[in-house]
This record gives sequence, C-alpha cells and structure tokens, in this order.
Amino acid sequence: MIASRVLAAIAPRLAAVLLGAACIIWTVIPPRHSGLAGVALVLSIIGVTAGALRLALADVPQPEDQFFPSAPIRAWLTFLAALRALPWEEIAVVALLVLEVQHPARPWHTAALGFGLVAYLLAVHIGESGAPAGGLLRRQARLLLAGTCLLALGAGFAMLPTAGPGAGSALLRVLAAAAVVAAAALVLPGRE
Amino acid sequence: MAGPDQQVEVRWRPSRHARRLLTLAFAGLLLATLTRRPELVGLAAPALLLLGVARPGFQGRSGRPGRPDRLTVRVSLASSRLYEDEVAAVDLAVDDTRFDARWLLQAGRGVEPASATGVNGSAARFEFTVPRWGRRHLGSAALVLHDPWRLTEGRAEVALPAVDCYPDPAMQRTRVVLSRLPNRLGEHAARVAGEGTEFAGVREYVPGDRQRAINWPASTRLGRLQVNTFAAERSQDIVLVVDATSQVGPPGHSALDMGLRGAAGAARAYLDGRDRVGVICYQWGGARWLAPSLGRRQFYKIIDTMLSADAGWGHGETFSRLPRAALPPGALVVVFSPLLDQKFVETLRDMRERGFGLFVVDLLNTVPPARRTFTDAMTRRIWRMEQQAIRFSLRELGVPVVHWDGVAPLDLPLAPYARRPLVVHR
Repeated sequence: MIASRVLAAIAPRLAAVLLGAACIIWTVIPPRHSGLAGVALVLSIIGVTAGALRLALADVPQPEDQFFPSAPIRAWLTFLAALRALPWEEIAVVALLVLEVQHPARPWHTAALGFGLVAYLLAVHIGESGAPAGGLLRRQARLLLAGTCLLALGAGFAMLPTAGPGAGSALLRVLAAAAVVAAAALVLPGRE
Repeated sequence: MAGPDQQVEVRWRPSRHARRLLTLAFAGLLLATLTRRPELVGLAAPALLLLGVARPGFQGRSGRPGRPDRLTVRVSLASSRLYEDEVAAVDLAVDDTRFDARWLLQAGRGVEPASATGVNGSAARFEFTVPRWGRRHLGSAALVLHDPWRLTEGRAEVALPAVDCYPDPAMQRTRVVLSRLPNRLGEHAARVAGEGTEFAGVREYVPGDRQRAINWPASTRLGRLQVNTFAAERSQDIVLVVDATSQVGPPGHSALDMGLRGAAGAARAYLDGRDRVGVICYQWGGARWLAPSLGRRQFYKIIDTMLSADAGWGHGETFSRLPRAALPPGALVVVFSPLLDQKFVETLRDMRERGFGLFVVDLLNTVPPARRTFTDAMTRRIWRMEQQAIRFSLRELGVPVVHWDGVAPLDLPLAPYARRPLVVHR
C-alpha cells in the first residue's frame, strides 16, 4: 500500500528525469565540438538536473522565518530559493533546440526531438502538479495526435527537394509550415 | 459547524505548463526563421496547438462563463473549540466543479497541519492540531483551479476562521475534600449523620426511626434494637486560583501552561463530583474571577475566564477586594502557582489568616540559568533556600504545598491529602 503510494508519487518525476535525459542524449548524438554546442549541452544538462532536483524537493516545506540562522541553513534556504525561482525547464528546452540546430539538417530526428520535448514538459507538469496522468493525457490525446501529425508533416515538408535556389524559397517553406499549423489550430473541434 | 459561504476573487493567469510550451514554440519558430529550417516549425506545432485551445472565453458544458471572477467557497469547522494536541478538521468545498481544483493549506502561527484528504478535488478536508492553548487563526487555504488543458490557472485565497484552543486538562480522578462541608446536598460523605448511603455507625433505636434501618445482628447481640446510621452527603465550594504573574520554564511547559492545565483538570474533577467550582486568575495589579457554580457549562466558562488572563498587566478586580461571591467562606482554595511573586505569597498568607482552607500546587520546575562561577553557584543556592523558606512558611501556617511536574497525573501529588478529609483550622 505504502510502496504503491510512493511509486505513484515518484513515477511522474522519474519519468520527467528520464525523458529529459533521453532528449539530451538524442540531441547530442553525434557529438559536435563547436563552442556554442558545448555551452548549449552544459546548459541543457544543468537545466534538466536542476529541474529534476526541483521536482524531487517539491514537497520540502519552506521553513518559517528564523532569527540568525546558521550558515548551513542559510545556504540551504538560498539553494531552495534559487531552485524554485529559475525556469530550469525552459532553459533546458531552449538549450536543446540550440544544440539541435548545431547539427546539419535531419528532419525526422528533429521531429522526434520535438515529440520528446513535449512529452518531457507534460511529465514535468504532471510531476509538479500531481494531476492524474491518465485523465490529463486522455483529454489532450486528440491534440497530441494532431500535433504529432503536424510534426510529421513538418519533417516531411523539410525533406522535399528545394523548389529553387535562394533564401526566398526557404522562407516560403517556413511560411507554408506555419500556415499548416495555424490552419490546424483554427479548425480543430472540441475545445472543452 | 458550517460557516457562512465565502465569495472569493479568482485571479487567472497562464500556468507554468503554458509558459513552458510557449517557450518551446517561440524558440522553435525563432530558430526556424534564423536557420531557415522548416522542421523546427513542425517542432513548435504541438505546443502551438495546445496553446491555441486555451483561449479566453472557454465555456464548459453548463454554458456558464468560462473563467469566473468570483467563486463561492464553503468553509466548515468540525469544532471551533478544541484541546491542545487534539486533531480537528476544516472542510472546504467550492461550488464550481468544472475545473480541476487543488487545495493548499497555509497554516497560521501555532497551527500544525496533520493530514489532508481530497486536495485534488472540489472538496477537501484538512486536519490540524494546535500544540498550545490560546486563540489561533488557522491561516488561509489557497485554491488553484486548472482548466481541462492545464494551460491557465486561477488562484483564490480563502481565509480560514479562528479556533479556541483549550489547555489539555491534567488527569485528576481523586479529590481533596474539606472536613467541614456546607449544608448543601452533594456527593461527599460528611462527618455528620444524614440520609446518605455511606455507613457511619450503629446507635440505639428511638421511636421514629425507620424499621428498614434496624441492624438485626447488632440488636440480637445487645438485646436492644439498634439502627444503622449513615453519613450525610454534602458538596463543597472550590475556588481555583491560577497565578498568571510568572511565565517561567520552556514554552509549552511554563508555569502558566501547567497552571492552566492543572486548573482545568481540577475543575473537571470537582465538577464531576457535583461540587461548585469557581476560578480566580491572579495577574499583576488585579484578578479576574468567576463565581463558583455547577455543571458542564461552568467548565467551559472557567477555561474561558482563564484564557482571558495573560501574563501582562491585569485590569480586573484587586485581589484584596474580591467579592464574597468570588471567594465564598468555607471554600477550599486550590492554588496553582510557582510561588515566585512575593506579593502573591503574602496574599496567600492573608487568605489563610482569614480562615480559608488553602491547598497549593507548586509549579516551579526550573531554576535560573547560571554560569560555572562561584558567585552564580552561591546565588542559585541562596535562591533555592529562599524558595524552600517560602514553602516552609506556608506549611507552618497549615497550608499543604505539593509539587507537580506537569507531566504526571495530579492524583500523585494529591494522594496524601485525598485519602481523608482535609482538616482546616480556622
């Protein structure tokens, strides 16, 4: 009984950590040795690790105001405050995207990364809010399915041979992909 | 105990989940534009889709406004009065069930949360304890509402009511009874003969005695009719005196804490014995009092009177001018005090000289802090001797002084005086 409760409490947090680690590994392979890639990799690792720590320490209460706390307690309070104040997941996501664009174009790889990042953010949300994962995913299933289709469309669109040389054609492709996304968002039914 | 419904204001804003999805979408679109790689737009697509559905004006099946600005919350307390360390509960319920609700208790000072039930739902129950007596504000409860997509969240703050925490009454089952009791029907066996149930002796039959009282074995043995006599049953007046001038000892176990707990335990014990119990709280410069009376209601009135006193400057009656109702003649005065205030000790001596039956429960369980120096050791020794002298002088006046540590039942220190009636020389 207690074991099942503990497992139910830590499972989403563990899933978030694993998904974050998977996204990092997925993005970093094959390794790039440029300076920006290294910085992005370090930032993404810090972001995922700190996010995992924040989730793990989410249940630790903020102690009441104390007069003249000792140095270790002051350091612990500062650490907790920094952990809870900064948007670690956003930092990790941006760093991972920067790391991804350091590689040559690989559309299906990027699409899989996008899927992994959305899954990571959902797992983080479930872990920190305690929301029932089954109900949440059931409600968003249609949207997630549509999003996955759009991911696949975007990846497939990127794999089409270029219509012509020059920057204009590339911009057109970006605009076309954005139009597909906007159209899907507008016509999607069932906004309950 | 359901309280009135509260109208609370709800502040809506994007959730952290929404902000993260927004970051992912913007970063994807920005990098797609900068690097001219359309697959990054596809990467932003799921996040944009999810964000697109969380537009303002969301409406549920009921057709009510999507995000209400105000909600009705029902707050009900299991009890507005509780004892120290007793588990109590507060129930919270919100009328709008369309949203995923999450409750968080922000406990007030002096309130310790115990457990929570149904915090992820429209109705929640928080259990709590209050470790120390007094009036405590429970704090507030934060209500976090999520839309079905979890992309917007509404926050509302619900103020929780205050509770009165009573001191945990000390365990007391035995009672100290005076040898002279007022002529009032009660449960204590008096020394005079009467219509009670406790056997008192045998005497010769006189016309008018009831036949059922005849003691046939004694009559056969003596050759004359003998009848049983019984002790009369009387009640007594008890006045509890709580010394609120000294707050010595660790928090939660100070002399005042122990005095209140001991007085509450004594009040309960004597009221259970059908005695009339009153209370006097002695403060600096005055006293608050409650005239002796009977019944369960009197118990709560006594505690309320004690809680209205504090260790500060009193504004009540002067102790030497208390009316007869507060200190009836012939009453047993049970004093709870660390005997640190010389003026209070003088008052006790004065009461004894006026003929009151006094009984002192000594609550001094601490000594002044001292360094390991000769002067401090000598000072502490003199202080101890002074305290012993105060107690000795009271005993010399015929006032029993017993020490109570605040942990053991009160029956233990009272045992030598509870076995037989307490004789008070006037």
